[in-house]
Amino acid sequence: MNHDITSARIDRRHLFRVGGLTLGAAALLAACAENEYTGPLGRVGNGPDTPTLQDPVLDDSVLLRTAASIELSIAAAYDTLAEKGWLSGSTTYASLGDQSELVATFAAHHRAAADTFNSLAVEAGGEAWTCANPRLDSAFIDVIVTRVESGAEATDSAKAIEASDDAGRDAIHLVNTLEELSAETCQALVAQVTQASMRKASMAIGVRSARQAAYTALLVNPGGYVMPEAAAAAQPATPAPTTVPPTPAVNENGVPLTEIPLPVAVPSQFGSLAPITYIGGNGDENGVRLKLNFETPSLNSFVYPFDTCA
Amino acid sequence: MDHDAPEAHEAHSAAPSRTSRRALLGLGIGGAAVSLLPLLTGRAHASAATTTAPPKRPTADDTELLGAAQQVELAAVALYDSAIAGVSGWTAAQAAVMFTFRDAHLAYANSLSALLGRTAPGTAAASVISSYRGEFGGDPASVCGASWSLESAAVATHGDILGLLQGVEGAALVASIQIAEARHCTVLADLAGLTDTASLLVDDEEAPLAVNG
Repeated sequence: MNHDITSARIDRRHLFRVGGLTLGAAALLAACAENEYTGPLGRVGNGPDTPTLQDPVLDDSVLLRTAASIELSIAAAYDTLAEKGWLSGSTTYASLGDQSELVATFAAHHRAAADTFNSLAVEAGGEAWTCANPRLDSAFIDVIVTRVESGAEATDSAKAIEASDDAGRDAIHLVNTLEELSAETCQALVAQVTQASMRKASMAIGVRSARQAAYTALLVNPGGYVMPEAAAAAQPATPAPTTVPPTPAVNENGVPLTEIPLPVAVPSQFGSLAPITYIGGNGDENGVRLKLNFETPSLNSFVYPFDTCA
Repeated sequence: MDHDAPEAHEAHSAAPSRTSRRALLGLGIGGAAVSLLPLLTGRAHASAATTTAPPKRPTADDTELLGAAQQVELAAVALYDSAIAGVSGWTAAQAAVMFTFRDAHLAYANSLSALLGRTAPGTAAASVISSYRGEFGGDPASVCGASWSLESAAVATHGDILGLLQGVEGAALVASIQIAEARHCTVLADLAGLTDTASLLVDDEEAPLAVNG
């Protein structure tokens, strides 16, 4: 018997044809099928819903009450320094003396400044902010106070750091840094707010803070009026004075500690908005002290309308 | 989602089986739009909450005010020049400060000139020079005292100007000048031998300068 087997044979071409037809039919059916779904997207496993971020309104009132919060943080920091007795003198700066009274007058200036900024914020349609800036406190001031007072505990990878070798030195440097921060904050506000009257009021505060910064710089560094480079550039005919770099302090193992630069009264020709570097506390096992850069308020330190005093 | 709601978890887990590619694509585009919504609304809020944004460049009125500021700075340069040339007996520290501050005032005038362009007056305020010329002679300490007074008056003048300027660029520049000149006062008070904090911190600012000619 002779069977015709060619029609029953499935060759490769046939397979391709059948496969293509199947896929095409499946796609057609899928496209034509009812696929309306109005419920939430499916998810696998348990987890928190996507958080709804608060509306980050940034207007005059937010800027002004943020400035108020900075001023209140500074005033509170000065209270803390006084309570701990760190303003009564310094072993590093023997001629400094007790600066408690002076810093108390600085604190009064900053509280008055906060009132001014809050009044302007209310005029601008916002609410007054009557407590310190949470970000400045938690990321900077609290960190410095803790390091100066208690050092740092040992971790798996680092030895413990002792309390400061001179709390008085660290305190007066913090005062100078915070005065610089206040001055810069007021200056930065000028380009941010919309009303000329706000700019003028802000700079009236900034001018005072800048002078307080210059004064504390002269207390720490008598005769440190201007940057040596600026003086040399202004007097090209006069040979620049040769300065002997100070002998760096060392820890108990003979490791040099991070040098703490002396501030000057006029650190730049124009008012600067650059970060202000604070160095203080005791050094770690490598002699490295705490180093923080203070900056004018920005996105993570603004006091938004949805923020409330803790 | 509530962690203590297994029935809700089951309902959500079942959802993908009813969601086709087309729906997913549609939801993806919609999701992208929704994710941008806070940004867009944030911008809308920022612009709605503030009043009209101030101009960046100086207005016509600003130009006059900034011109006056430049004249004050050039007058300060002239007064410092006369003291440096006419007074002898400077200590190294006093000389360094006088030269540095003189250069600073020149830099302020140049910056204002750069902002104003051809409308910059480019001349010193004769009224300021005539008011202070007599005080910028004598011994170095008295010149430091006179400079303290001039710097304080300049700070007050710039403060008044800031209260009137509309353009942001001019205001920012004047502010950066004013805050530096405020520090000059503290330095000059110290150089003049003043030790009271009222002088060092300038409790009583001088009156603003009259700029005529």
